[in-house]
Amino acid sequence: MYCKAVFTGYKRGLRNQHENTALLKIDGVGSKSETPFYYGKRCAYVYKAKRKTACPGHDKASRIRVIWGKITRSHGNSGAVRAKFRKNLPSTAMGKRIRVMLYPSQI
Amino acid sequence: SRYYPTEDKPRKLRSRKTAFSKHKHSLRSSITPGTVLILVAGRHKGKRVVFLKQLDSGLLLVTGPFHLNGCPLRRINQIYTIATKTKLDISGVKLPERLNDKYFNRKQLKKPRHTEGEIFDTKKEVYTVSDERKEDQVAVDKQILDVIRKNKEKKLLFGYLGSMFSLGSRQYPHKMVF
Repeated sequence: MYCKAVFTGYKRGLRNQHENTALLKIDGVGSKSETPFYYGKRCAYVYKAKRKTACPGHDKASRIRVIWGKITRSHGNSGAVRAKFRKNLPSTAMGKRIRVMLYPSQI
Repeated sequence: SRYYPTEDKPRKLRSRKTAFSKHKHSLRSSITPGTVLILVAGRHKGKRVVFLKQLDSGLLLVTGPFHLNGCPLRRINQIYTIATKTKLDISGVKLPERLNDKYFNRKQLKKPRHTEGEIFDTKKEVYTVSDERKEDQVAVDKQILDVIRKNKEKKLLFGYLGSMFSLGSRQYPHKMVF
């Protein structure tokens, strides 16, 4: 129950990048006019690690970890979007899947 | 000479914060009693449920109906719902008086008290559905199911409420009309 998006890179000028804001390309969104639906939506970078850690709602510890964030605004004219995560995304996440949830919903 | 304060009890300074009980709760205009909502988060995510009313805390009271999709009388926050244009006419449905926030509050399960020899024997108290909940569920669902049966499109509605919402490939929510 999420939209697929890709983490394309950090907010940057040509020679400097600011890792606190991530740029996401959401599947199916091709222009700026289509992005307002996604403003404020929560997004998650889900990844696996070697060590098992406790996770809420489950008895058993699991290898799956998440970094939560939210979509803050659009970026450019072609439907890209800016997102801020609770912890900055690791650069190894570039090109990887980010899940854009359908909540907080406004429709 | 002792210091005698002018007021017996010091008065609290005025705070700009309002208590939760005094908050004003708004409701999206797309959500009216009888609207079919899609739950987007929580253990019932993907289910299509019927909206009954907004409670005093601002949370929405919904029901599956339980028979159709396993969602009981439940509270949810409107930000975790998508309102669809499908609406049922539940103006004739009477909800039991006791369905309010206090009724739905989480019950504190008593932690097992460990006595001398019984540390591993005392069972943990597990949540069980109370009889009043079952009564209310049956009472409300009966009326809602009657409303659906009287509706022109009852076959469609039964199937609709029983099915789950999901996003397939090339389906984008920003392009959808709910």
